[in-house]
Amino acid sequence: MMKKLLTIGLVLVLALLVASCGQSQQQAPKAEETIKIGVQGPISGDWALEGQGFVNAVTLLAEQVNAKGGLLGKKIEIIQGDDKGDPKEASLVAQKMVSSKVIAVLGAYNSSATEPASGIYNEAKILHITPSSTATKLTEKGYKLFFRTCFLDDRQGLFAADFITGTLGKKKVALIHDNTTYAKGLADWTKKYLEEKGATVVFNDAITPKEKDFTSTLTKVKSLDPEVIYFTGYFSEGGLLVRQARELGIKAIFMAGDANNNPDFVKNAGVQAAKGAIITTLPMPKDLPYNEAKQFIADYKAKYGKDPESIWTLTEADAFRLVVEAIEKTKSTDPVKLAEYLHTQLKDFPGITGPINYDEKGDRKGAGHTAYVIDEKGEFVLYKK
Amino acid sequence: MQQFFQQLVNGLTIGSIYALVALGYTMVYGILKMINFAHGELFMIGSFLAFTLIVSVGLMNIIPSPMVGLLIVFLFVACLVAILGVLLERTAYRPLRRSTRLAPLVSALGASIFLQNAIMLIYGGGYLVFPENLVPNINWNIGGVNIGLMRVLILFLSLSLMAALYLLVQKTRLGAAMRACSLDHDTARLMGINVDRIIALVFIIGPALGAIAGIMVGLYYRQINFTMGWAYGLRAFTAAILGGIGNIPGAMVGGLLLGVFETIGAGYVSAAWKDAISFLILILILILRPTGLLGERVAEKV
Repeated sequence: MMKKLLTIGLVLVLALLVASCGQSQQQAPKAEETIKIGVQGPISGDWALEGQGFVNAVTLLAEQVNAKGGLLGKKIEIIQGDDKGDPKEASLVAQKMVSSKVIAVLGAYNSSATEPASGIYNEAKILHITPSSTATKLTEKGYKLFFRTCFLDDRQGLFAADFITGTLGKKKVALIHDNTTYAKGLADWTKKYLEEKGATVVFNDAITPKEKDFTSTLTKVKSLDPEVIYFTGYFSEGGLLVRQARELGIKAIFMAGDANNNPDFVKNAGVQAAKGAIITTLPMPKDLPYNEAKQFIADYKAKYGKDPESIWTLTEADAFRLVVEAIEKTKSTDPVKLAEYLHTQLKDFPGITGPINYDEKGDRKGAGHTAYVIDEKGEFVLYKK
Repeated sequence: MQQFFQQLVNGLTIGSIYALVALGYTMVYGILKMINFAHGELFMIGSFLAFTLIVSVGLMNIIPSPMVGLLIVFLFVACLVAILGVLLERTAYRPLRRSTRLAPLVSALGASIFLQNAIMLIYGGGYLVFPENLVPNINWNIGGVNIGLMRVLILFLSLSLMAALYLLVQKTRLGAAMRACSLDHDTARLMGINVDRIIALVFIIGPALGAIAGIMVGLYYRQINFTMGWAYGLRAFTAAILGGIGNIPGAMVGGLLLGVFETIGAGYVSAAWKDAISFLILILILILRPTGLLGERVAEKV
């Protein structure tokens, strides 16, 4: 009796073992059948909100794709990598991504974290799309698998020049910057595009940041009588500039670059002086006119109970949607083929942040910027002619 | 020509602030032969204290007349900063008075860093913005030159303060005592002058003037942050040297001139080059007149 029981017990154990073996054998290939996509960003640290926005956006979209049956019959698996916005951490995250065999990485947030990671991904032949790193040099290295869904700084210059000559119909422009790389770059690009469009730049010079009195520069600008003043520096000086310009009796339209897209601009200037000032910037998420954007923001709100963190949450979502589009069209998960598709065949992809096209360097063509004007209450509202 | 006069007005406004701050440097140097590097910080603290009174305490809402309210802000903050100045002298400079000349200098730099960081920790590192329309936004256009009410106030207040200080130093017994101290401490003491009290007086007047300049910057530009003491302090110090450090009318002339140089440089050459231009002028003046414009040749003591 005892023996019989023991035998039955043994058989049961064996059967269980075999069954579990069988299960694990079934599971192993299944795990490899997922498509792994990495999300890299500052999930903790100073820019944690942005990094968490990346993760939220991609998780939301991956769930939607998986619910519809996945891609090429496979589910998408998201691998998170927290680089804290730090270049050293970014390299470690990149190595971790490579060893987890992802086919694409979406990130990082800041250019200084994206740069070291991009070299590692390029060597490992992994598709790399950054949603927010705008440093020009990132696409100057000839990496074939590197793309971005944000626009370079020169596109804002292009937009500003179009806006001044086209929408406003003005020809005589004064540019003021503050000698920082960003502000001077934007001023120089704007000058180039303005001159191409037949406008004259009567003034292009720097003020000293952190100073408070710009009346000497503005008096000089006044004597040159421009129709538009475009300031490309930061809001702390921008607010003072517009107020002092009005105090000196300058009637020209005052425009400022995207670093002035900050409520403190109005606070510094005072509502009276700030009224009518025009800010060129990427649109706020709620102001995007595209159906894809409305759908994404509604889904995001339903899942997380809040609006997307910033425009970069949307460009990260676009990066993910690009990878999905490329996999669907090429029926492949080979990063090299995906990159080739994005470079050569992608045309006017309907992105959340507008149509997406790529040049040979992996930079996004066109300009996604828009103009806001400050109303009599000191609020930023979309500019309408 | 119209542009030139406008630049002149711009320059005099900036320059009169420099001059007020420069007085603090030059008075301390005149009496103690040391440079009070923390003076720029006292100027900055003046504007922060005014911000606290106006925004956090809501003084302007309690007092019905804005004129009276502002007057109280000016007097109260000037007194507070004067007390701070005396405290600074007691703690950071007086214990070192008999040591080498370098020690109080290092102590002054330390005090400057301490005050700057203390303000950053209390108020935060960002910009603070004064409310609008504390001073009515009135503008005059005189022959094409635009002048706002606040600029007229800045010019008027600084010039009258400077005139009052000049009279105090040149025409009163107290002023005579101050001048005596600046010549020789020991002899002054032999004449029955309480040198410590005169030094304390200098540390009351200088910081109070600095604080008034700080409040005016806050009221006019409306934007303050904890590093602004350094930028204004450096210019004011330069202005003091330009006019001849230790010389009170020299600080006034130096401040106004530096302001005008800056605006003329920015207006007629290039804004990016304006500091290079004004400092080039400073170097040229110092080569031709090493003691500054109004500085007298002092017999070398050391």
